[in-house]
Amino acid sequence: MLNFIRKPFGYEPILTKEDLKKSTKKKVEKASDWKGVLSRIWKLVDEQRFLLIIVLLLVVVSSALSLLGPYMIGIIIDKYITQSVFVGLAKMIGLLVIVYVFLSISLYMQSYWMIGIAQQTIYRLRTGLFEHLQKLPVSFFDKRQHGELMSRMTNDIENVSQTLNSSFIQVFSSVLTLVGTTVVMLLLSPLLTAVTLTIVPFMYFAMRWITKRTSKLFKEQQQAVGDLNGMIEETISGQRIVKAFSQESRMLEEFTVKSERLKRTGFWALTYSGFIPKVMNLLNNTSFALVAAVGGVLAYKGSVTIGEIVIFTEYARQFTRPLNDLANQFNTVLSAIAGAERVFSIMDEPAEVDAANENKDYQLKGNVTFEHVTFRYNKEDETPTIQDVSFHVEAGKIVALVGATGAGKTTIMQLLARFYEVNEGTILIDGIPMENLPRFTLRSQTAFVLQDPFLFEMTVKENIRYGKLNATDEQLIDAAKQANAHDFIMKLPDGYDTILSADGGEISQGQKQLLSIARALVADPAILLLDEATSSIDTVTELKIQEALEYLMEGRTSFVIAHRLNTVRKADLVFVMEQGKLIEAGSQKDLLEKQGTYYKMLTNSKI
Amino acid sequence: MKTVFSFLSPYKWLVVTALFFMLIELSVELIQPLLIKIIIDDGIVAGDQQTILFWGSIMLGLSLLAFIAGIINTFIASHAVQSYGFDIRQALFKKVQSFTMATFIKFPTASLITRLTNDVTMTQNVIFMGLRIMLRAPLIVVGSIIMAFFVQPYLALFLVISAPFLVIFLYIMSRKGMTLFGKVQRSVDRVTRKIQENLQAVRLIKAYLRGNYESNRFSTVAATLKTDNVKAFRIMEFILPVLLFVMNVSLMAVLWFGAKEMQTGDVQIGELVAIVNYAMRMTGAFSMFSFIIIFFSRAKASADRMEEVLLEEDGIEEIDGNSHITAPNSGEIEFRHVSFHYPTTDIPVLKDVSFTIKSGSKLAIMGATGSGKSTLLNLIPRFFDATKGEILVDGVNVKEWQLMELRKVIGLVPQQSILFTGSIEENLRFGDSTVDGELLKEAAKQAQIHHSIEQFPDQYNTRVGQKGVNLSGGQKQRLSIARALVRKPTILLLDDSTSALDVSTENALWQALEDEKSTMLVITQKIRTAKGADQILLLEEGKVSAYGTHAQLLESSSLYKEIAKSQQEGDDYVELHS
Repeated sequence: MLNFIRKPFGYEPILTKEDLKKSTKKKVEKASDWKGVLSRIWKLVDEQRFLLIIVLLLVVVSSALSLLGPYMIGIIIDKYITQSVFVGLAKMIGLLVIVYVFLSISLYMQSYWMIGIAQQTIYRLRTGLFEHLQKLPVSFFDKRQHGELMSRMTNDIENVSQTLNSSFIQVFSSVLTLVGTTVVMLLLSPLLTAVTLTIVPFMYFAMRWITKRTSKLFKEQQQAVGDLNGMIEETISGQRIVKAFSQESRMLEEFTVKSERLKRTGFWALTYSGFIPKVMNLLNNTSFALVAAVGGVLAYKGSVTIGEIVIFTEYARQFTRPLNDLANQFNTVLSAIAGAERVFSIMDEPAEVDAANENKDYQLKGNVTFEHVTFRYNKEDETPTIQDVSFHVEAGKIVALVGATGAGKTTIMQLLARFYEVNEGTILIDGIPMENLPRFTLRSQTAFVLQDPFLFEMTVKENIRYGKLNATDEQLIDAAKQANAHDFIMKLPDGYDTILSADGGEISQGQKQLLSIARALVADPAILLLDEATSSIDTVTELKIQEALEYLMEGRTSFVIAHRLNTVRKADLVFVMEQGKLIEAGSQKDLLEKQGTYYKMLTNSKI
Repeated sequence: MKTVFSFLSPYKWLVVTALFFMLIELSVELIQPLLIKIIIDDGIVAGDQQTILFWGSIMLGLSLLAFIAGIINTFIASHAVQSYGFDIRQALFKKVQSFTMATFIKFPTASLITRLTNDVTMTQNVIFMGLRIMLRAPLIVVGSIIMAFFVQPYLALFLVISAPFLVIFLYIMSRKGMTLFGKVQRSVDRVTRKIQENLQAVRLIKAYLRGNYESNRFSTVAATLKTDNVKAFRIMEFILPVLLFVMNVSLMAVLWFGAKEMQTGDVQIGELVAIVNYAMRMTGAFSMFSFIIIFFSRAKASADRMEEVLLEEDGIEEIDGNSHITAPNSGEIEFRHVSFHYPTTDIPVLKDVSFTIKSGSKLAIMGATGSGKSTLLNLIPRFFDATKGEILVDGVNVKEWQLMELRKVIGLVPQQSILFTGSIEENLRFGDSTVDGELLKEAAKQAQIHHSIEQFPDQYNTRVGQKGVNLSGGQKQRLSIARALVRKPTILLLDDSTSALDVSTENALWQALEDEKSTMLVITQKIRTAKGADQILLLEEGKVSAYGTHAQLLESSSLYKEIAKSQQEGDDYVELHS
């Protein structure tokens, strides 16, 4: 048992003296422009500003009342109880009861309103950020990891929320109480005040000693946590592979190493940060003892009354508590401001530029022209993904894009949906440069079936309806039938009302593609973009939906990427892509007669 | 809750010691008002400076004692908590690893991850608090009352009167708080899921112009979260003012009756001051309650979630304990009247499937989307067990083989390629870390990925990002094939794993796999691939619709003919047109 208790002291230290020397400054990440951040939060508070001012007034009231309470008790003891004066004692106590009634009411009302204000503000911040995310270009999402964006949407906002909820009032009232107590104490007895204040420098140095260590340790702990979480996520989402390769025990070993590291850094981080309240207690108790002893001697000499000692012991507590709170809240508030700044920085990301509304109601015919289009995903990329591509497609034609993986087929599609802006050249729709066409006009008349079918966590019906929000149930079912999805949908537990889970585990990859085709069918677009829309569908089912696809493509300009010949065969035009260039274009017949790349691909069955 | 906290029991001595040191701290705090009383009554009032200084320095000494106790408590508590966290993480991870796939799919992936990460931290925090503060608040209340009785029983009565009322009040509030915060947590989860979904589907949402629609849907969940939060926090914030008020009123009563009693001389002024001091300490302790309740209710939700995993009794894989120790070596596979449905539904996925594959031969599995092809493959490494019939490997029922030994001889390439963070080499070595470099390269060459790897800046040391974000779909598939080949598997299972490859690469791949001696089961959509197989199994709605060679099936199966027709080869096509 003794060993057991000795164990915690046996952790090897993980911070060296050198480590500490390096980190003298910058405890918490600071917002570079906290004034700007605060003024933006102030803007979000919006019409509740008036209420917020009332809350602040209430904080002033409650801080004053909580100072008044002990003061009055001191007076009651000195003037009435020790003097045995009963006239007016009842009145004083009655007065004190009134003070406490108002204290409770003002405390409750301030938090009641503050919670409302805070949550409403957070609601605005959250929805504002979400709305802005919808407006950002696709390239924004390419550059950032989901995890990072998720953490801004959740952790950072949660931090701001907590700060607004409680820290805001706490900081404000701490400052008020601190100032108030000091003033009252000075008025009562400068000497005892000096005694009480002796703890402040100790507190400062102790806190500095601790935070210097914890800031480093917390960072290290954060890394250990991130490392472990990453591993957990990967193992769990790749469970099938772990099992198939019988790697459970190795995974457990790796996990143990990472988990042990977290235990070690966690131990030190927790221990050092756990010192803070203990130091606070020590200072609290010491100042209490000092006030009692020094106050006692002074009272003995007659320069201080017993009531004043009572007031001071209580004030000494009231004095260290806000200091403690401030120290605690300081980091919270700073990191919340930093978090808010990160959130705002996303909201400052330029939204997708959009054309003026002049062509708003334009009905697309579907003529598509590329004029010397060059495109790079990153401006620094040396070789462009699309290099000087020019072509013209008449409305209503079907174009098949063929070429090896990485030739730029999908990119052409993405440019047509205007997920990205071209670097050089222009894309014209019906002779109108794409940038003069509002996104709404373009996309509302374009349907895109993506390589990776994505389904939302809602009912099958709602997922299909995504293509056209005002579609009737009949239209949905028709589309599902055409896409050959109806039969399997009917076999799901609740048919069209089955809620698909986030992982979409209930249905196969091919079935997901069928649903996303049904979704496109419902949309009824002028331009249709099919990016490997049927790659996971078996050819028999594909044959069955071929009819639907043909029907869908009829009269619409369609761009199709497919590896399968029978899909390509239906095309009016074939574009052969190679390393970002359009190397051959023309009708099937022309290309075959030309005996060029396409011909070679066909004869080697390389499509 | 119980199971989770039982993980603390190996550390019960630590817990006891930590609590002991906390009690020392607490006693010091509780003695202080008593000492004040002595200083006032025996020192100031009696006019004895010696007494004042003596007890004053005792108080200082006690503060130091409390501090030392507090520091020791911190060490011990944090050791206990970290050890607990380590143990429970280990237990959870082990448990999850031992789940059968049938159990595994019962839990959504995201929720399993939360259980292993945030939930553990949440309970750790509560235990740490518990060892240091949480018990402190109630103990201060009880201790203050006891001490008050010790100092002046009559006045102490006024502190006690309010106690039952406050306890009931706190009980009701905490019940309410628990439910409300449970609700908040669910709303938070919904908001998180919504965001996640949106990040994944950026292109789709943009393509269909659903930005506003999504914003509206998000506003609804965000609004629910707002209302839930407001409700929960407002209830919590109600606690403090009420507690303060009740305590302060009792304090007034103490003053009033104390003053009366002092007249008769039954109560000393120092005693009165001490009682007032105790009352104020109680008030301070009570104000911590709402905080504790919030914390505790969150921890309870976490503990319950972890418990679901820990208490999962069924569906644990038996890693060993079966009779056949040696690994299967011929790779002959037989399905005998196999039927299967997933544990979550009654809808059969496979119905009475029978076939045999000779050692070293190649079976192509074809069939419509959702006809049960992938499920069939999953039954061989026993991710799921057949509901009816039996599956034999080397003439032995798969259930008889030792699971590890069975899986060791299988190379699986799933439909969606799953890669792990680490270098390409580490990924290829995933199945066997001892494989030598030559073999690795050989497998990579077979999988047609060697050339691509050579072109990466760091070649085989190139880092694979999380889930392989920095690789194209085709590269991921080929790596995942190479990974399976590295094991030199007796049985190779390919689940439509060439869909992202262009035709020439795919042809080269199949050519390279020709020399493989393993028994191969290949799910494919392509007649061209099927043609190269020794046997073809055509599934239709979970039943075997046709079984035989390409030539046989062209004769006998109309469905197969239809598929073949839909995929006429390029050569025929060129003839048609020229």
